[in-house]
Amino acid sequence: MIEETDISDEKLLNAYKNLIIERFMDKKMLNASRQGFLPFYIPLMGHEAMHIGLGLALRKQDFIYPYYRDFGVLLQMGIPIDTIMSQVFATANDNELGRDMPDHFSLKKYNIGAVITTVAGHLMSAAGIAYARKYRKIEGSVITTFGDGATSTPDFPVAMNFAGVYNLPMVFFCENNGFAISIPTYPSESGQKSAYEETKGMIYRKAEAYGFNGIRIDGTNFIEVYKNTRKALEDSKNTPILIEAMSYRMGPHSTADDPNKYRKNEVTEGSEKDPVTVSQRILKEMNILDDDKIREINDEVDDFTSKLINKYEKEAKPDKSTILDNLYEEEPWYISEERGDLQ
Amino acid sequence: MVKAINSALDNAMEKDDSIILLGEDVGVDGGVFRVTDNLFKKYGKDRVLDTPLSELGIVGFGIGMSMAGLKAIPEIQFQDFIYTAMDQIISQMAKLRYRTNGDYTLPMVLRTPYAGGVHGGPYHSQSGEEYFATTQGLTVVTPSNPYDAKGLLLSSIELNDPVIFLEPKRLYYAGKMDIPDDYYTVDLRKAKLLHEGDELSIITYGPAVPLVMNTVKNNNINADVIDLRTINPFDVDTVLKSVQKTTRALIVTESPKMFGVSAEISATLAEKAIDYLSAPILRVAGLDIPIPFALEEYYVPSEKRMMSAVNKIMQYR
Repeated sequence: MIEETDISDEKLLNAYKNLIIERFMDKKMLNASRQGFLPFYIPLMGHEAMHIGLGLALRKQDFIYPYYRDFGVLLQMGIPIDTIMSQVFATANDNELGRDMPDHFSLKKYNIGAVITTVAGHLMSAAGIAYARKYRKIEGSVITTFGDGATSTPDFPVAMNFAGVYNLPMVFFCENNGFAISIPTYPSESGQKSAYEETKGMIYRKAEAYGFNGIRIDGTNFIEVYKNTRKALEDSKNTPILIEAMSYRMGPHSTADDPNKYRKNEVTEGSEKDPVTVSQRILKEMNILDDDKIREINDEVDDFTSKLINKYEKEAKPDKSTILDNLYEEEPWYISEERGDLQ
Repeated sequence: MVKAINSALDNAMEKDDSIILLGEDVGVDGGVFRVTDNLFKKYGKDRVLDTPLSELGIVGFGIGMSMAGLKAIPEIQFQDFIYTAMDQIISQMAKLRYRTNGDYTLPMVLRTPYAGGVHGGPYHSQSGEEYFATTQGLTVVTPSNPYDAKGLLLSSIELNDPVIFLEPKRLYYAGKMDIPDDYYTVDLRKAKLLHEGDELSIITYGPAVPLVMNTVKNNNINADVIDLRTINPFDVDTVLKSVQKTTRALIVTESPKMFGVSAEISATLAEKAIDYLSAPILRVAGLDIPIPFALEEYYVPSEKRMMSAVNKIMQYR
């Protein structure tokens, strides 16, 4: 099937290239963490199409509150690569001075919220931001992303409820990758899904209870993600909306777990449902991409990402004297005293 | 004190349209203690929000608003109900400035009535200031009289960082005081010397202040009485200066003793004032049990318990 879009071929090709950058980056970062250059890393293989599609869909006036697996969204948004890499490698140039883990971006000037580790801790913040923007009559919408595991926490229904009650200009974007670490989206004791489990698994249907629409989309197809998300952003001017994007987390949850212990790896690299394979198939059908171009982009991106990672691995870390800064606007006496302990 | 807090909110909202109140029953009903009376009528539903019943939601909503340039003042109806919002308070509210190195700041004031005095039992009378005071990044303020309540609240609203504003519910309708209708502030970083003396320093705050003042007056105790006003960061200079003069220290809190605010002040004195001290530092505090319903008066510090500690300190040789 040929996809119809309102985006130019050049822009689509560029988006594909970003998707490949994210894939290469992910593999190399995982290596960097295994070699000890990064103390921790959160892999994102399988999420790329959701990130790139979402990044394409964002308009200038929108605000995004991402979660900790959204590297590619920032890439597609055009955030300077130095800003992104300095955060991931916690260098002295990091906007956050290395205070938080990789992919925990905080970039107020780009309308990006402060990524938090608690899986749904930002959903109510996103709702509050949406309220503030509505109150100040700011154009655009607030989109927030989260995993399927986040929908099991109390923050999710509470945020959905507030969004419904105050009719907030918001898009809830669930990156359903099938797993909360080792726990599947719909854990089943019997091995056979009951009616309850079937319904529970349909995250998008939960929106109905809060008075707005939920949709389920293919999260491995970045053009479908783009189209649906853009429409949701436009529609959310009048009502919140929940998107459940279906994908598969192809890697481990983090560098601290081994998926072979708790699942069969149903989607592997290069297989039919790999977002890279899907993207290549679609773009080939649209005559934007061919095998030569795929190889060319792979070579270019391989080189680009290696150089990038080599550079940031060597960047200096923030100075130790900075770790006591910015707890409060006015420093309390005991923090001043503790500066002495740092000597 | 209720009127003073209401007046502070009114003054602040009149001056600054970025201030938003939110909580359960704070709008049409004016709050269960009447703290937000008439504000809904005056400022409308977009600025005084009757929210769904969710403390997590109330605090989280306020955090988001303040991240986006507004100044949220959420109310939690009773401190006892705040725990479902503790993740928001500890993980997001307290850490936001630090973990983003100031990319985001969070000017917001989380108000809540706390401590005993109304026979509310284990779920309407808890103190709990320690939960907030031990969380890095929060400023914890508690007034002991109507004048301070208004001035400290307005200072808290001016602060560019999150404040936990603990209102002693036993003082809501006590201690009638004429306070100015106009806007004024009280310095958050300065403790107040409520009574002057030479032989003992009594360090206290919030709900325990009336008991301390009555006991000092009834027994002619020759003591400095220091009202901390802000628990974290507390005014260490005023405390040290007084103890240097009197050489003796007693700490009185309504919250339980073990691992309490009194322990921190006591440890600070042991570290910084040991050379001046002529007697052990003693504490009078709530008992180390959940606050009971029927026999609340045995849980909270009493004049008798306080005098027993004062006598022990004064007779120490």
